[in-house]
Amino acid sequence: MARASIVGAGMTKFGVHERPLPDLFADAAFDAFDDAGVESPEIEALYFGNAMGGMTENDTHLAPTLASHIGCTGVPAQRFEDACATSATAFKHAVEAVESGRHDVVLAGGVERCTPETGLGTGAMTKVFVSAAHRQYEQPAGLTFPGVFALLTKRHMHEYGTTEEHLAEVAVKNHYNGTLNPRAHFGRETSVEKVLDSPIVADPFHLMDCCPFSDGASAVVVASEEAAESFENPVDVAGVGHATDVVPLADKVDLPATQAARDAASQAYDQAGTTADAIDFAEIHDCFTGAEVMATEALGLFEDGGGGPAAAAGRTALDGDVPVNPSGGLKAKGHPLGATGTAQLVELTEQLRGEAGERQLDDPERAVAHNLGGDAATTVVTVMEARR
Amino acid sequence: MSDDATTDRLDYVEWADRLRDGDLVGQECAECGHTTAAPKAACARCGSRTLATVTLPTDGIVHSETTVAVPPEGFAGEYQVAVVRLGDAKVLGRIDGTVDIGDRVSFADVLVTDDHPAPVFEPV
Repeated sequence: MARASIVGAGMTKFGVHERPLPDLFADAAFDAFDDAGVESPEIEALYFGNAMGGMTENDTHLAPTLASHIGCTGVPAQRFEDACATSATAFKHAVEAVESGRHDVVLAGGVERCTPETGLGTGAMTKVFVSAAHRQYEQPAGLTFPGVFALLTKRHMHEYGTTEEHLAEVAVKNHYNGTLNPRAHFGRETSVEKVLDSPIVADPFHLMDCCPFSDGASAVVVASEEAAESFENPVDVAGVGHATDVVPLADKVDLPATQAARDAASQAYDQAGTTADAIDFAEIHDCFTGAEVMATEALGLFEDGGGGPAAAAGRTALDGDVPVNPSGGLKAKGHPLGATGTAQLVELTEQLRGEAGERQLDDPERAVAHNLGGDAATTVVTVMEARR
Repeated sequence: MSDDATTDRLDYVEWADRLRDGDLVGQECAECGHTTAAPKAACARCGSRTLATVTLPTDGIVHSETTVAVPPEGFAGEYQVAVVRLGDAKVLGRIDGTVDIGDRVSFADVLVTDDHPAPVFEPV
């Protein structure tokens, strides 16, 4: 039995957008409405994500503003903020709302603008991003978000022998996949040499190991399993796991384990009555290449320490045995924080329907999305299944 | 009653004051024994509020490290930060010098940014 179904999915191209948050979100919401065949008055609630708008654009209390902008005035509307896992946690609450019988059809989604072209410069945005690290115990040392994931990844490299070349292979794969996704921020291929020749941001990460600052929006129409029967093309949500790990980073028991992902995956697989072996592909939160390697292990797709060699062997490529980030991932598709979680679900929906165009995988039946926030202290893992 | 609990508990203000004075302290949980260099209102492992203030060792081992080449606004790069294991606790700090994972370091100084202190370690 499904917990809920996605009956409509939409997103903007990720990249640079001059349009302000309400118009940008409306583009994704209406894309999802049109895909589902619903009009604004049919939406019973809005579960909305935006992580940093208060700091980047002096824009808060966005949920009723956006509900008004898309013709959903008056419905319960709420904003979620869980750093980069913002819209996945919004989605989790949407699923619970339709599962409980409180609502039948709701909208979950997010929007964010992070590019220097439309907002802050690199130094200022680096400071905004590190607001998700501990204010008292981490920020004063001058930590950055690339630095957070560098600390996790270097410990992984130390314990398992993961190499910079393994990491670069993740970037190369995701850039290739991005060339097949018309909504990706980056549409150009790269090479291991180009990644390793790019400037260091926080070692071991070169610039090309890091996802870009992006603008964009995404949204999904979520229906109860019963209400979904009246829609043309539902895709089932079989499980949603959500776990947190201790903050700050130094207090985590095992840095490269990313324990919240293991806990969330275990919950999601149990709800879905499935295991990692039965997953056909994954959308993974590759904010940095090392994050993808650690996540493939935390989700059980590869054994601990096997994530880097698996990427280098092509096992996570579109034609591999466990494709990871067919969309191009955060690395190539882009990472507008509050839009990333539901954008992963847009990719799952389209792939499981067989509507992913040039990057379409071979008839996948079951997929997993992994969206993390902060120093991996928040992780939401969603299992979706095609309706046959 | 609650005033006593608040007074007894090592909070951030006291931790920061003592760090500025060159004294690196933490908490040890009376229930589960977890030791942290980042004081909290209750134990992050077991939830107990019975936490003793402890002086942390000043010598430790580098658990992980990175060199930040693109700093946030307010900092000038590049510089190395590390997670340092001090006895049973781990702490994030700045490195004065260059270290690798497994190297021995010693608490040497305090970096204060925006009135917030961070410990600085140097290779032994």
